[in-house]
Amino acid sequence: MPVLNTPNFTIDDFMAVIPAAILSAAAIALMLSEVFLTAGSRTYQAVVAVLASLAAAAVALTNAFEPARLVLQGFAVLDPFSSFMTAMVSMGTALAALLSAGFLKHRNAERGEFYALLLFASAGMSLLALSNEFITVFVNLEIMSVATYALTAYLRRGPRPAEAGFKYFILGAFSAALLLYGAALLYGATGSTKLHEVGAVLHGALAKVAGQGGVVHSKDMLVFAGFGFVLAGFAFKVAAVPFHMWTPDVYEGAPTPVTALMSAGVKAAAVVAMVRVFLSVATPLNDAGIPFVLISMMALLTMVGGNLLALPQRNVKRMLAYSSIAHAGYLLLGVAALFVPAGSSAKSAVGVLTATPLPGLMAVAPAVYKGILFYLLGYTVTAIGAFGVLAALERREDEARDNTWSLDKLAGLAQRRPGWAIAMAVFMLSLGGVPPTVGFLGKVYLFGAAVDAGLLGLAVVGILSSVAGAYYYLRVVVYMFMRPAAADATLPVKHWTTEVALVFSAVAVVGLGLLPGTITTWLSRAGMVFGGP
Amino acid sequence: MISVYDSRILNLVIFAPAAFALLLAFLPKTEKSQIRGITLVAMLFNFATCVWAWLRFVPTSDVEFQLEYRTAWVNDIGLGYHIGVDGLAMTLLMLTGILGPLVVLASWTYIEERVKEFHVALLLLQTAMLGAICSIDILLFYVFFEAMLVPMYLLIGVWGADVAERRKAAMKFFLYTLVGSLLMLIAILAVYFMAGGPGTRTFDYATLYNNLLGANKEVSLCMTAGTCDTALASNSVAFALWRYGPYLFFAFALAFAIKVPLFPVHTWLPDAHTQAPVAGSMVLAGVMLKMGTFGFWRFAVPLFPAMARQYQPLIATLAVIGIVYGAFMCLAQKDIKRLIAYSSVSHLGYCMLGMFAFTTEGATGSAYQMLNHGVSTGALFLLFGYLYERRHVRLMSDYGGIAKVMPVFTAFFLVVTFSSIAVPGTNGFVGEFLVLLGTFKSNLPMVIGVLATTAVILGAAYMLWMVQKVFFGQLTHDENKGLKDLGFREVITAVPFLVLIVVMGLRPQPVLDLLNSSSQRYIARAKYANGENIDADKVEIQKTRFLPKVMAEASPNFVPAFGLAAQVRAAEPKLILSPKAE
Repeated sequence: MPVLNTPNFTIDDFMAVIPAAILSAAAIALMLSEVFLTAGSRTYQAVVAVLASLAAAAVALTNAFEPARLVLQGFAVLDPFSSFMTAMVSMGTALAALLSAGFLKHRNAERGEFYALLLFASAGMSLLALSNEFITVFVNLEIMSVATYALTAYLRRGPRPAEAGFKYFILGAFSAALLLYGAALLYGATGSTKLHEVGAVLHGALAKVAGQGGVVHSKDMLVFAGFGFVLAGFAFKVAAVPFHMWTPDVYEGAPTPVTALMSAGVKAAAVVAMVRVFLSVATPLNDAGIPFVLISMMALLTMVGGNLLALPQRNVKRMLAYSSIAHAGYLLLGVAALFVPAGSSAKSAVGVLTATPLPGLMAVAPAVYKGILFYLLGYTVTAIGAFGVLAALERREDEARDNTWSLDKLAGLAQRRPGWAIAMAVFMLSLGGVPPTVGFLGKVYLFGAAVDAGLLGLAVVGILSSVAGAYYYLRVVVYMFMRPAAADATLPVKHWTTEVALVFSAVAVVGLGLLPGTITTWLSRAGMVFGGP
Repeated sequence: MISVYDSRILNLVIFAPAAFALLLAFLPKTEKSQIRGITLVAMLFNFATCVWAWLRFVPTSDVEFQLEYRTAWVNDIGLGYHIGVDGLAMTLLMLTGILGPLVVLASWTYIEERVKEFHVALLLLQTAMLGAICSIDILLFYVFFEAMLVPMYLLIGVWGADVAERRKAAMKFFLYTLVGSLLMLIAILAVYFMAGGPGTRTFDYATLYNNLLGANKEVSLCMTAGTCDTALASNSVAFALWRYGPYLFFAFALAFAIKVPLFPVHTWLPDAHTQAPVAGSMVLAGVMLKMGTFGFWRFAVPLFPAMARQYQPLIATLAVIGIVYGAFMCLAQKDIKRLIAYSSVSHLGYCMLGMFAFTTEGATGSAYQMLNHGVSTGALFLLFGYLYERRHVRLMSDYGGIAKVMPVFTAFFLVVTFSSIAVPGTNGFVGEFLVLLGTFKSNLPMVIGVLATTAVILGAAYMLWMVQKVFFGQLTHDENKGLKDLGFREVITAVPFLVLIVVMGLRPQPVLDLLNSSSQRYIARAKYANGENIDADKVEIQKTRFLPKVMAEASPNFVPAFGLAAQVRAAEPKLILSPKAE
C-alpha cells in the first residue's frame, strides 16, 4: 500500500519562520490597504511596519532561547545565531521605517509599496539567516535582493536612482548566478543540497583522499571551484573588496533610509548565511586552509581598502558607503577567525595571513560568534542612525545641484539643530570606535576574539586601518561643531518619526556602550550554532 | 577605624557634581542667581567630600590605592569600574576640590550669557577631572580623560574672549588633545592584549602593570646587555614589549605630552589660555594640565619603564627646552594672559624634568610642582581675570600704575608673583628647589640642571618686569583712574590661594608626607627597569581588595551588592590598614 510522503510537521518546526511570516503578512496587508484606502496621510503605514517589525523582533528574541535544532526537515535551522540576527534586522527595519516616514513625506512619495518592500526585504534577510539548504539559501537571497533592487530605484525621477537600481540589479543577478552555479557544482560533487549533508559527504571523501596519500582528485577541484563561486556570491552581498565596486554608487543612489537598511541588514544577513554555509561545508577542509586564506585575504583587503577609499570622500553618503565596506572587513576578520587552521605550527611567525592558534579553535569559537553578533548589533544602530541624520538633512532642491550630501551641508549643524549634531557626533565616534560607545566595545569583542584565534597580524592591520577611519569620521564632527553654517543654510524640517528613530539609535549607541550587560550575556548563547563546531 | 562608607566616598566625590548638573538642567534659564548659588553649593559640597576623603586617607599605610571601590562593569572583556587614590592622586583631588568653589565665585559676575549652560559645563568638567584622577582602570581613565575635552572646548569656544579667535583656539585645543588620545587608545588596546591571554584580559591598571612586570624586567636586563634579539625569543610578551614598546610608549607619551604641554606640542596652550574665560583658564592651568604629568606618572612610565629609561635624555631635553623657551617667550609677550600661559609651559617643564630625573627628590619635587603650578598659576589667572573684567584689555601697555588705585589687588598679585618665581618662603620655592636638586643628583648631564637653574632667573625677570609695568609707575591711562579695588567676594576667592601659597611654602611636610610614598613607588618602578633590585613590594602593585579574576571566577554574573562588598572587606581585614587599627 503506497504511503503518502507527507512530512509530519509540528508547531516547533514553524517557530523559526514565524518572524518572517509576521513581516510578510504585514507587507501583504500594507499593499492591500494601499488599494482600498486613499486617505491623505500615510504615516499609519510606517506605524504598521514598525509594529510588525517589533513583533517579529520579539518572536525572534524568544526563539533565541530555544535549543538549537534542525527544523522543516533540515531545510532550515532554529539556532540563537540566526534568531539574534533576525531580531537585529527587524529592529533595523523598524528604525528604517521610522526614518522613511519623514523622508518620504517630505518628497511626497509615501506609498504603501515602499513599506511592503521594506518588510519583504527584511523577511528575506531573516529567512536567509536560517536557511540550511542551498536552494533555500538562493531563493531567500533573491527575496531579499529583489526587494532591495526595487527599493533602490524607488524614487524613480532623477537619473541617479535609476542608475543605482540598474547597476545593483545587473551585478546582483550576476553574483546570485555565481552562487547558484557554485551550489550546483557542490551538489554535483556530493549529491545533496542540504548543508549538513554536503559537509558530511565531503568529510568522508576527504578523509579517504587523505588516507590515499593526499592526492587531490579532479572531483575535489570541482568542490573547490564550487566554494569559490559560493564565496564570491556572498562577498558581493557583504560588499567585500574586490567585490565592492557597486557599493558607493548604489548606496548613494538609493533613498537614504533604504541605504541605512542595506548597509546594516543585507550585510548582516549575508554574513550570517556565509558563516553557516562555510561552517557546514568547509569545516572538513580545514586542513587545506583554503577557506581561511580566502576569507582572511578578503578581510585584509576590505579593511584597508574600505578605509583608504573613504579618506578622500567629501560626500558624506559616499564616505559612509566606503565606511560600511571597511566595517564589512572587520566582520570578515571575525569570520576568518572561525576558520583558523587548527593544525598549523605554533612556531610559525605571526604574520598578517598566517596564524599561531592559541589553545584551540573550539575554545574561542563562541567568543567569535558573540563578537560578530555584537559588532553587527552595534553597527546596525550606529549606521542606521548616521544615515538617518543624513536622510533628515536632505533637501529635494539640492538634488539637481549634486551637492546633497556634501560635507559643507553639515557645517554649523550644531547651531541649527544641536540635538541632531550631538546624535551624529555620537554615531561618528561609534563608527570610529571611541569609547564609551558601542562601536568601541564591538571592536574589543571582535578583535579580542580574532587575537585569541591567532589572527594577531590581521587584528593589528584592522586597528591601524581604523585609525585612518578616525580621520574621516572626526572630520564630520569638526564640520558640524566648528565650521560656521553657510549663509543660505536652512533649518532642516523635523518629523516626529525621524526624531524617535534618531533618539533611539543615539541612546542605544551610548547605552550599549556603557552597559552592554544583559545583551552580551544573551549573545553568549550564539555559540550554539547548529552545524558549527 | 575603617568605616563602611570609605569605599563610597570617592563615588560621591566624582558623581555629586554631575548630579547637581542634572538638577541645574531642570532649572529655568532666567534664574541666574539661583543657578550660581546651586553651583556654588555643589562645589562646596564637593570640596567637603574631598576633605572627607583626605581625612580618611592614611599617608603612612602601605596600601597603595586607598578608598578603593570596584564593581563589575563589562565583565567578559575585563572592564571594571575601579577607583581609588594614592598619595599623588589624593593631593590632586584636594587641589581640584579647592578650585571648584573658587572658580564659581570667580565667574559670579564675569559670565552673564548662557549662565545655565556655563555652570552645567563647569560641574561636568569637575566630574570628569575627578574621575580621571581616581580611575585605576585604564579604560575608565581614558573615558574620563576624553570626557574632559567637551566641557573645556565649550568653555573656551562659547564663553571665550574674542568672538573670532575663541573658536579657533577651542578647535586647536580639541584637535591637539584628541589626536594624542586616539593614539593612546590604540596603545591601551595593545597593552590590554599583551598583558593577558584569552579569558584573562583586563583593563584593570594594577593587574595590567603586574602582568607586565616580569616582561619589563627581562627587557630592561637584556637591553642593558644588548642581547634582546636572542634573549627574548622564548618569552613572547617580553619580545613584543621590546619590539613594540617604543611605539606604545610614544603613543602614551604623546597623548600626555600634548596635555602637559611639553615642547614642541605646546602651541595650543597660549591660544587656549588667552581666549578662555577666567574659569576656563583657572581649571585648565589648575587641574587639566596636571592630567598630562599625572598620566606620565601613573601610566607611561610604570608600564614601560625600560622605554622611559631609554628615552629619558630626550624627554629631559625637551623639558629643559620648554623651560628656557617658555621663559624667553614670556619676556617677549605684550599680552598678560599669553605671558602667564607661557610661564605655564616653563613651569610644567620643571615638572617633567623632575619626573624624568628618576631621583626621589626630583619626583617629589615634580609632584609638589604640579600642586604649586595649580595654585600659583590658578591665582594669577584669577587675579588677572578680575582686572580683565574691569577693563577688557590684556596688553601690558594698557595698564600702568594700577597700585595707586587698587592697593589690595596689587598686594595680592605680588604675593602670587613671588610664588610663581619661587621666592623662598612660598610654595614655588619648595617645588623648584627639589626638582633642581633631583636633577643635579641624577644621571642626567650637568648642563641640563644648569640650564634649568638659569631659567629661574629668567622667571624672576619676566614676572617682575610685568608687575612693574602693570602696577607701578604713573597712571598713564585715564580709564584706569576709576578702577575699583577688589570687592568682598573677590577678596574671599583670592585669600585661599594666598593661604595655600604661604602654608605650602613654610610647612610643606604634610603634603610631602602624602607624596612620599607615591614618589618612592614611582622611583622604584622607574629604576626597576634599570636592573636595580629594589624593594619588591614597592614595585609590584599590591593586591587590591577586590581582585577582578577572583570575582569573575566566583560568579560570572556577579553584581556586587552593598552588603556583599562589605563582607568581602570583612573577610580580608589585613589589607586595610590604618594607624589606629595597627
